[in-house]
Amino acid sequence: MKRAMVLAMVAALGLALAQGRTVNLLWSGAITGPTSDVGGPYGAGIEDYCKYANEQKLIPNVTLNCTVRDDQYQNPNTQRIFEEALDRAKPAMYLGYSTGAMLQLKPLINEVKMPTLPASAHIGLIDPPNNQYMFLPVSSYSEQVVALMEYINRTTKNAKIALVVNPSPFGRAVVDHARRAAQRLGQSIVDVREVGGGNLDNTALLRALDAAGAQFIIHQNVAGPVANILKDAKRLGLDKKIRQMGAVYTGGSDLIRLAGDAAEGYLWASSYYTLDENTPGIALQKQLAAKYNRSPDILNSTNYTAGMLAAAIAVEAMKRAAQRFNGRIDNETVYQALIGMNGPNAFKPGFAVSTKSGIEIDFTRSEQTGAEGLRVLEAKGGKFVPVTDPFTSALFRQVRNP
Amino acid sequence: MRNPWAQTGNYRTSYVQDTTIFANYREIVSVVLLLVALCILPMFLERSQVLVLNFILIYAIAVLGLNITTGYAGLISVGQAAFMGVGAYTVALSAPNLPFWLTIPLGGLTAAVIGFVVGIPSLRVKHLYLALATLAFQEIFVWVVGRSPALAQGAAIPVEMRNFLGLEIGFRNHNFFWYYVILFVLVLMVMAWRNLLRGKYGRALIAVRDNDRAADAMGMDPGRTKLFAFALGAFYGGIAGGLLAYMQRAVVVEEFTLGRSVALLAMAIVGGLGTVVGSLLGPAFIEFLRLYMERLSEWMKSNAFIQSITPAGVDVASALLPLSFGLVIVLFLVFEPRGLYNWWRLLRSYFRTWPFKY
Repeated sequence: MKRAMVLAMVAALGLALAQGRTVNLLWSGAITGPTSDVGGPYGAGIEDYCKYANEQKLIPNVTLNCTVRDDQYQNPNTQRIFEEALDRAKPAMYLGYSTGAMLQLKPLINEVKMPTLPASAHIGLIDPPNNQYMFLPVSSYSEQVVALMEYINRTTKNAKIALVVNPSPFGRAVVDHARRAAQRLGQSIVDVREVGGGNLDNTALLRALDAAGAQFIIHQNVAGPVANILKDAKRLGLDKKIRQMGAVYTGGSDLIRLAGDAAEGYLWASSYYTLDENTPGIALQKQLAAKYNRSPDILNSTNYTAGMLAAAIAVEAMKRAAQRFNGRIDNETVYQALIGMNGPNAFKPGFAVSTKSGIEIDFTRSEQTGAEGLRVLEAKGGKFVPVTDPFTSALFRQVRNP
Repeated sequence: MRNPWAQTGNYRTSYVQDTTIFANYREIVSVVLLLVALCILPMFLERSQVLVLNFILIYAIAVLGLNITTGYAGLISVGQAAFMGVGAYTVALSAPNLPFWLTIPLGGLTAAVIGFVVGIPSLRVKHLYLALATLAFQEIFVWVVGRSPALAQGAAIPVEMRNFLGLEIGFRNHNFFWYYVILFVLVLMVMAWRNLLRGKYGRALIAVRDNDRAADAMGMDPGRTKLFAFALGAFYGGIAGGLLAYMQRAVVVEEFTLGRSVALLAMAIVGGLGTVVGSLLGPAFIEFLRLYMERLSEWMKSNAFIQSITPAGVDVASALLPLSFGLVIVLFLVFEPRGLYNWWRLLRSYFRTWPFKY
């Protein structure tokens, strides 16, 4: 009898501990400072998805302690926040942000074996060395730019292309891959220009690119500088002559808001669904934005979708880790769950487009890109509409490691 | 002879006494006690807290350099972060082939050479014009790094040191190891700074700052002094950059932009221009301000009442961080232009003359 009572007490205690268990998830990014237009909605997406995960008990018997911190786009802050989390509440997963800080943290992330999903899609993050624990939720900047070049090649042979990139490792990440892709496609890169946020008058830039014979401009930047260039191109009458397009952070509702009707015809490579599409992820996004009183700017932002996708992948990996490793959720089990997220076990939350094989998010030990599919969208009537089916760049894998 | 431990005033009777590194025995004892405290401090701290200390000490070295150029020689420089960058990239390139105790001084020397070149405009221009020349150097540095394949075009260059004299350096002891290295370097740099300023070169810096034509008339060479100030200030910056590179395990150009230069200048102003104590207090104040404003901001975000009274769609809590930084600089410039050093001076004076008011 005594023994049975002790066993019952131990079982009750175990159950109580299991129910009260907390798992930590950390995000640090630029809620203020440079690129806060991206970081603000991205962080909001993570915050809201975490609340939803707790409310819906997406990870049975586990409370998710989701920490969202503002690093102000300053690498020392990112390092401090990350190390503070390692000391005080070792997170099971880290959701990162900027290119520079993520590149800098790469050796430490590898050393502490922390599965990490950065908001930056710089290919260098998943290139060796120290790349084992980094995973990109969607295709890299380089892959998206190469995909745009392939798209150009469908209609215009031997096209002359200019690259306009951000003056930072984030912007420059694509240049070498674009050059190699151009060589294979028979295209020519007529100029590469670096343009930051202070580009108030782009007349000289556009005239120079026009003089160089550029038929297309591909942007690897954030929406602000691109919007200014689009407005100046319209003012100069070059909008009909030079087609402009860009990857990841160049498009979306921010670009339309900033550029107005000058954005019409702009082509944008994106892995995410738009708000007009009826997918489980987008429906959830609308539901959560309404529930947590998010402003229309945040709801309409693709970066809000991106933040939700990152959090959704993290939560799903934790859930699978718990199922597979007898309730154990830590960096090691989450890593195992993440690299097992493929084939029939691929994850399909409905935030990003699926490839032809129907896979939305999949990872392996060596393939660290989640959503490899993307579409080209065009700004028409004040919103982006898809002009291609989802596709994966055929050329990128050849130019990545030539 | 008066009891040196109970000394209440300045009783120096010779130039030799007037140029000692430490003013009296009490100062020596207080410095030794401070050093002992700094040596045992990490025993009571977490790894990540030691990281904050490391940043403060590194910025203190850079601000010491800035205080030579701007505080002592009066040459406004907004390029100190770029000098740090020169040191950091020198370390990144030489680290695979040289031990850290050689790469860090090498970084300092490279920065000093560049500082000498950057200082050349100071032979012809002054004040705001000189500030613009250093600003140009800051921008040129970022531009060159961003376009140099050898410097990874501004992307990260790893700087890893896994072993020192048989000691394995990894996640657990990385911050602690570098804390003691940085502290050692800082002590050396402070001693060199104090030693320099009591000699003829240091006095020449002050003379040139106060009136370069008068200094010239007294037989000093203002041009050479200004170049010396730039080179030495840059040397300190280079050393700080080299230490930062090792501590952060990689060098990224974003660490060495104009924003960081302005932050260093703010640290020097808040601490007190031209003072050793100010060079330590300024970085500590700015870093702790950042930390505590971050805490306040997070508390505001988690407090339902605060959230209910802030305007919808405006992230007031997050905006506090950049606001506080700007506000502190303005308030110091208006109300205490001599910086925190002046508070320290008043505090010391109070205890020295206690119980009398003056």
